[in-house]
Formats: sequence, structure tokens, C-alpha cells
Amino acid sequence: MTLTATRPAARAGRAAAPRRPARGRARRWALYALLSVMSLLTLGPFIAMIIVALSPRGAPTVPVQWPDALTFDNIAQILGASGFAEWTVNSLVYSVVSVVIILLTASMAGYAFAKKRFPGRDAMLWTFIATMMVPFQATLIPLYVLVSDLGGADTFWGLIVPTLANSQAVFLMRQFIMGLPDELFDAAKVDGASELRVYWTIVVPLTKPILATLGVFVFLWHWNDFLWPLVISQSDATRTLTVGLTVLKTEELQWATLMSSAAVSAVPCLVVFFLLQRYLVNSIAMTGLK
Amino acid sequence: MRHRLRDPITGLLFVLPMLVLFLMFRIFPTLAAAGMSLTNWNIGGEWSFTGADNYVRLVNDPNFWSSLRVTLVYTAIYVPLVVLVSLGTALLLNAVVFLRGLFRGILFLPYVTSFVFAGIIWRWIYEFDGLLNGLLAKVELGPVAFMERADLVLPALAVVSCWKGFGYSMLILLAGLKAIPGTYLEAATVDGANAWQRFRSITLPLLKPALFFVLVIETISSFQVFDTIYVMTGGGPAKASYTLIYGIFERGFRFWEFGYAATWGMVLFAVVLVVSLIQRRIVGKEDT
Repeated sequence: MTLTATRPAARAGRAAAPRRPARGRARRWALYALLSVMSLLTLGPFIAMIIVALSPRGAPTVPVQWPDALTFDNIAQILGASGFAEWTVNSLVYSVVSVVIILLTASMAGYAFAKKRFPGRDAMLWTFIATMMVPFQATLIPLYVLVSDLGGADTFWGLIVPTLANSQAVFLMRQFIMGLPDELFDAAKVDGASELRVYWTIVVPLTKPILATLGVFVFLWHWNDFLWPLVISQSDATRTLTVGLTVLKTEELQWATLMSSAAVSAVPCLVVFFLLQRYLVNSIAMTGLK
Repeated sequence: MRHRLRDPITGLLFVLPMLVLFLMFRIFPTLAAAGMSLTNWNIGGEWSFTGADNYVRLVNDPNFWSSLRVTLVYTAIYVPLVVLVSLGTALLLNAVVFLRGLFRGILFLPYVTSFVFAGIIWRWIYEFDGLLNGLLAKVELGPVAFMERADLVLPALAVVSCWKGFGYSMLILLAGLKAIPGTYLEAATVDGANAWQRFRSITLPLLKPALFFVLVIETISSFQVFDTIYVMTGGGPAKASYTLIYGIFERGFRFWEFGYAATWGMVLFAVVLVVSLIQRRIVGKEDT
């Protein structure tokens, strides 16, 4: 079968040889031309944003023309403005604290679901997974009432704690830990290692790659999160950058200032992107994390 | 023997932190949403049981029907758009070798930013004196008031979400394309199939699972669009971009009618549930 299949292929290749290179080259040019157009459409808004952000205040923002001079005044002004620095710190707290706690609690739960037997385990796991089907926005109102009744409105714990219940993270950790050989855990137990020790010296080191992936995603989810911070934070004390940007948008009429703020707000995401692009890309294909 | 006793307790202890978080902040609010939708809960926290009153009010609320229509129209524009763009770019990336990583990176870039970020940039692009009208003027078209026209606001918003989000679906489809054995396509070429025939009878059928996953994910995300609308249009003009989620938000946090807002939330839940179940159904059939 394979023999007969390769032979005509070779023959066809030879027969078409005189025409192929030219057609192949034209096709390649077309592919790269299309990719370049798509890339330009994708990058265009970023480039335009940077140009406006670096244009002097009051310069015509009808764009498509290079400003006479570039200036970092807008960026400097934004960084010094009241609010902006606070929002940035709040976003960092919101994202980093969430990453740490979710990695810890999700890997613990994932370990138990993967390797432990306890009553109600499967029912619990299925309930966790079923909650993925409930859109967050459908539970927004009761969640808000609950958290503000507990005194969590406009506090960091009220902002952070409700977003830690993350079934995607638990499920991902469970799937990964299930793939680790049981012998490893048995051996550790025979050696008399305590449960915490097993978790800390076996589970955590062996799940590092998936913890790193999950950490990056949790960071991006929280840094870019909007609806929950919007309803639960009511002052600059807990307002995150995304919410701050929308506040700024209602007050600020200068596009140069707004674009500078938007650009600065995206810096951590872009840093993550440039450092970990290959990593992010591979993990989406492998795990389907969104 | 000792393990048997130790296991259940440690297992439960390891699950406990996440379990408590879940019970309090996922499961309780889900049940409470159903309960609240049967009350007239308001900002003061006083409430009484009002039975199906909220649901009766909902079906008689023209805002609700209009928001449902807006959400569905938006979905009908966004989903085909994003599937076409992500499939197209995935096919292009799959067909080249040189510089593939660079192009993939560029196309994926907007995905890591926030919808608020995207909303602010695109709000300016769509301005009456913004970038797009500047470009249109060069070819002596426009200006077009993208954000002020009821017929253009939803396509304009769909383009923003597509720009920000297509990188994800592109990667899923690219992984699907890479999984198709090259020998199938070579064999078809040998048999004289042209590019279109190869795409139709080999690539497309084998890509179906990935394509279907993308379709469902994007449909659900299109029901949940909120950030860009909040930033760019505020539901306008004249409620032309007033979606279901926007309705939940406005009922809850502008009019402080928590009971009625929860009722809107239940509809969102039902819509997403139906889509998920249809997906289960079809995927289940594919598997057998």
C-alpha cells in the first residue's frame, strides 16, 4: 500500500516539476502577504495607541499622521496622578494574592481528588465541575449581597476571597496529579513521611510545570478582571486598574491621557507575554485553559 | 491498615479549604440566586416572598425582550466572525514554517490584554474623529458614527471582541490542524485532489472536534459580553447594545432591585445551560 502510494507521488512530482517552483513560490508569497495583513490589523490598534500616548496633549488625535514630537509627559503625568498608582498596587495585590492562594488550595484539593479515597469524593468533584456551567454573572447579585452583608464591600478580602473558588484550577491539578505514579506516594508513606511532607516534597515539586502555567493564567484572569472589582470596590482604596480606567474615562477628555493609562495598565500582561509566550501558547493547546 | 484510616481524614483536610470557598462563594450564591428571584429583595436588605411576580414582570418587560434580542443578534454576528478569523489564521499559520512563531505571537498578543483595555482603544478608533474615520477619509468615505448608530454598534462591538479574543480559538484550531496526519493530505494530493477538495474532505472533518469546542466556547463567551459594552456604549444608543448581562448589572447596581436582577440572572443561567446541554448531546453522539 505504502509502496504503491509513494511511487505515483514521485512520478507526479517529477511530471509537475517544471511548473511547481513558480506556483509554490506564488503560493508562499500569498500566504505571507495574508499573514502580514492579519498581523498588521492585530498590531494596528497597539501602534496607534502608543502614538497617541506619546503625542503632546492637545495634538490633533485625528491620526494617520505622525506627531511633530514624541513626549513621555502623558505617561509621567499618569504615573504621578492620584489614583493611578493606588489602582496599580491594588491590581497587583488582587492578582498576586489570588495566584498564591489558588495554587496552594487547588493543588491540595487536586492531590486529594487524584490520590486519596474519602467519603463523598466523587460527588464533590462532580459538584465542582458542574459549577463551571453556572455563569459567574448569574450569581453576581447573591454573591454581592453575601459579601457586603459580611462586611466585605470595598475591602481586599471581599475583593479577593470570592474569586478563589476556581473549579478550572482544581480540575486541572487533579488531571495532572492523576498521571503521577502511585508508587511514589506509597514509597514515601512506607518511609514514614507525614502527609504534609508528601504534599510539600512530592506533589509540589512534581507539579511545578502545571503550577507555573496555572499561575500565569490566574494572574492574567485577575489582572484583567472587571465585573467583580467594579461592583465590590467603591473607592480608590480597593479599586483595581481596569475599574480605575473606566472611572478615568468618564472624567478625562484627553485621549492622550487615556491611551497612556491604558498602555501602562497593559504592561504586566505584555511582560508576561514576552517572557512566557511559548509557554502560554503550548499550554492553551494542551489544557484548553481560557 | 493505618493508611486506610489516615486516607479519608487527610483527603478531607486537603480538600477542605477549597471546599469551604466553593460552598460559600459558588454553590450558595447559585442556590441563593434561584431563591432571590422569588423575592423583592432591595438595597436595604428587606425582602418578602413574592412568588413568580418577578418572572411575570420579566416576560412583560420590553427591556428584557430587547436585551435578549440584542444578545442573540450579537452572538449571531460574533460567533461566525471569530470562528472564520481564527480558522483562517490557523490555516495560514499551519501552511508556513519560516517565521511561524513570530506571526503566531503577534496574532495572539491581544488575548493577554483586558477587555477594558481593548474597549478604550477601540472606542477611540471608532470615534467620529478617530482612527477608522481618519482612514476612511483617505479613501473619501465616511465619516461614520459607529458608536451612535443602532445598526452598526453590535458589529462594531463584535469586531472588538474578535480582535481581543480570536488568538485563543486560533491556537486551539492550530493544535487540531497539527494533529491531522500529513500522510492523509499527501495521499489525497497523489489522488489528484485540489486544495479545496483536501480542505473539504480531509481537514474539515478531522478538525470537527476542535471546531466544535471553539464554537461552544465562543458562543458562551458571547452571551457574557459586558466589559466592552460598559466602556464603549453603556448599552446605547437607545439600548441597541443593551445585553442580558448589562441588564443584570443595571437592574442590580443602578436600580438596586436585587430580586429582579437575580431573575435576569436566572435567564442567563438557563441560556448557557441549554447551550452546554446541546453541546453534551452532540459531543456524546460523536463519541459513540
